Amino acid sequence: MSEHLLEVSDLHVTMQRRGLPITPVDGVSLTLDRGEILGIAGESGSGKTLTLRSILGLLPKGGVAEGDLRFSNDGGRPAPFEPTEVHGHGISIIFQEPMTALNPTMRVGDHIAEGPRIHQGMSKADARTRAIELMRLVGIPSPERRARMWPHQLSGGLRQRVMIATALSTEPKLLLCDEPTTALDVSVQDQILGLLQELRGRLEMAIIFVSHDIAVLGELCDRLAIMYAGQIVEIGPADDVISQPNHPYTAALMASVPSFQGTSEELQGIPGHPPDPGAFASGCRFAPRCAFARDDCTQTTYELRPTSDDRATACIHPEVLAQP
Amino acid sequence: MTALLEVKNLTVNFRIGSAIAARLRGQPPPDLKAVDNVSFEVERSESVGIVGESGCGKSTIAKAIVGLVPITAGSVELDGQPLTEKRDKATTRRIQMVFQDPGSSLNPSLTVERTLAELLTVHKIVPKKEVPERCGELMDLVELPRSLLPAYPKRMSGGQRQRVGIARALALDPEILIADESVAALDVSVQAPILNLFNSLRRELGLTLLFISHDLAVVRHVSDRVVVVYLGTVMEDGPTEQVFNDPRHPYTRALMAAAPKFGVKKEPGKSALTGEPPSALDLPSGCRFRTRCPLAQDICAASEPELVESPTDAEHLVACHFGWTDPRT
Repeated sequence: MSEHLLEVSDLHVTMQRRGLPITPVDGVSLTLDRGEILGIAGESGSGKTLTLRSILGLLPKGGVAEGDLRFSNDGGRPAPFEPTEVHGHGISIIFQEPMTALNPTMRVGDHIAEGPRIHQGMSKADARTRAIELMRLVGIPSPERRARMWPHQLSGGLRQRVMIATALSTEPKLLLCDEPTTALDVSVQDQILGLLQELRGRLEMAIIFVSHDIAVLGELCDRLAIMYAGQIVEIGPADDVISQPNHPYTAALMASVPSFQGTSEELQGIPGHPPDPGAFASGCRFAPRCAFARDDCTQTTYELRPTSDDRATACIHPEVLAQP
Repeated sequence: MTALLEVKNLTVNFRIGSAIAARLRGQPPPDLKAVDNVSFEVERSESVGIVGESGCGKSTIAKAIVGLVPITAGSVELDGQPLTEKRDKATTRRIQMVFQDPGSSLNPSLTVERTLAELLTVHKIVPKKEVPERCGELMDLVELPRSLLPAYPKRMSGGQRQRVGIARALALDPEILIADESVAALDVSVQAPILNLFNSLRRELGLTLLFISHDLAVVRHVSDRVVVVYLGTVMEDGPTEQVFNDPRHPYTRALMAAAPKFGVKKEPGKSALTGEPPSALDLPSGCRFRTRCPLAQDICAASEPELVESPTDAEHLVACHFGWTDPRT
C-alpha cells in the first residue's frame, strides 16, 4: 500500500482578469493516500477552492490548469488522467451551497439515481433502489418518501446529505469537499462531519476537505495543508500543524481564531492584506505581513522544505516560532 | 435601577400564506411565530450576546428593537419608555445597527465621506462646518485611514467596508449598538481586529453592545452576558463565563458540544444533536426542544418551562424543567 491515491505536482491555475493573466494557484504539490482525509485551509482568495476544482477540471470560464495530476483508481501506480475520465469513475465532489448544486426540477431520488444509471448502466428500477439505499446510508430519515421530494422541500442539512448521497452513488475512491458545511448551522455541521468520518471508514474513501475554518479541519482531518497566496505554506499531521505551527502564517492564523475554550484574551489578527494574484512579489509572499521577516525572506524562492518525516514548511526561518 | 434596554414578552409574528385561502378553509390565517414571548434586559455599557441557529429568531429580535419589523405583542423599552415602530429622529439615533454584509448595506454610489456626512447633517449631530472634521474623527475611531474618505465601497476590502458600516452606526452617537452577524462574512484574520475594535469601542465610548451571532466562540469573546435562543424563545440567559463553563440547558450543552474545537477529533457517526429544529409553524407541545432533547421526560411534553433563576445566582436563568436539578437523581 505504498502507492498514493492521488498525486498533484506543480499545479498552476492561470486566469484572465481584465485582459491580464493572474495565477491564483501557483505551484501546488500534494499527495493523498487511500482512505486519508486531507484538509486545505486558507482565507478567501488563497486558491484552495481552485486547487480542489482543478482536480476535476471544474474551473471557472477562462481558467487554465497546468501541472501533473495523477490518480490511481484500481490500486496501481497513479497515472495521468483527463478530468472527464474520473467524473463518476473514482472522484466525486460536493459543494458549499446544495441548493444551487442540486437540480431544482429533479426529484432528489432521481438526482441520486442519475449517476448509477449513466455511469454504471443500471436500470431505472435498480437505480431507484440504490438511491434509497444511499439515502439511508447518509442518514436521511424515511428515504422512500423523501426520494419523491423536490430539493426546495428539504432543509439545508438534508440537501447537503442528498449531495453527499449523489456523490457516493458512483462509489468514488476520492471525495472532494468544497466548504460543504460553511452554510450550515453548527449542530448540522457537526452531524455532517460525523457522517463524513463514518463514511470514510466504511467505504475506504479518501477525502480532500477545503475550508476556511481551521477548527473544523482539525476535528476531521488526518493531514492539513495551509494555503496562502496560491501556495501551500505548510503541510503536516493536522494536530501537529495546529498545536505547533512551523510557518508564521499558520501561527498568525491560529492567533486570530477566537476560541470558546479559552478566555477572552486579545485576538491578534494579521495586519495588511493578502497580495494581489496579479502581482506577487518575489521571495516569501507572506514576508510583508510577517512579524518575523528578515532580509533574506524577500530573496528566497518558494519550496516546501521537510522539517521532519511527515511535515514540511515553506518558511526559511521556522526556528523563529520555537522561541517563547 | 431600571435597565437601559428592556425587552418584555416580545412576540413577533409573520403572516404567511394567503389569509383568504385560510378563511375559505374556515381556519385562522397562518402565523409564524418568529419571536415568542422573549424577555431580557441590557444594562448600560453591558455587552450582551444573542446566540442561536439560523431561523431561531435572533435577527428578528434585533430588527424589532431597532423598529425594522412590527411588534405583535410585548414591548421594547428604552430607559423605561416603550418604543414604537414609528420613532422620531432622536430615538432612532440612540439605537443603531451594523449589518452582516457591508457590501449590500452601504450605498454603492456614495463615497464614505458622503455616507457619513449625510447622517451627520440630517440628524444635526454637529454644525455644518464641523462635518468634515467629524468624518475624520469617525475614521480614526474605527481605525481606518482618513485617506479612504473619498473612496467608494466597491474599492474597499470586506474588513474596511465593515469598519465603514460601524463608523456609519457610530456617526449618530448611539447609546446602543446592535451588531447582527457583523463578522460572519469575514476571514478570521480580518474578523479578529474587528472583534477587538468592538471591545475597544465599548471601553472608550461606554457603548452598550447587543451582539448577535451563530458563532459561540465569537460571542464569548465580546459578551459579558449570553442569551441562548431556540425557535423564538430564550432557553438560557446568564453571565458569559458561567454559561460557557456550566451550561444548564441541554440545548446550550448540545450547541457547545457541536461547535468544532481544537485538539478534539470527530468520532465517526457521532453528533451532539440529532435531527433538525421542528418547523416554527408546527411547534411541539410543552418544551419546544424536547423532540431533540436527551433528557426529555413526560413533563416536558405537558408544560412549557419558564425561565427560572438559579438557586444560587439570580443572574443565571434557564428555561428547562431540569435546569437546576438532574432528572436522573
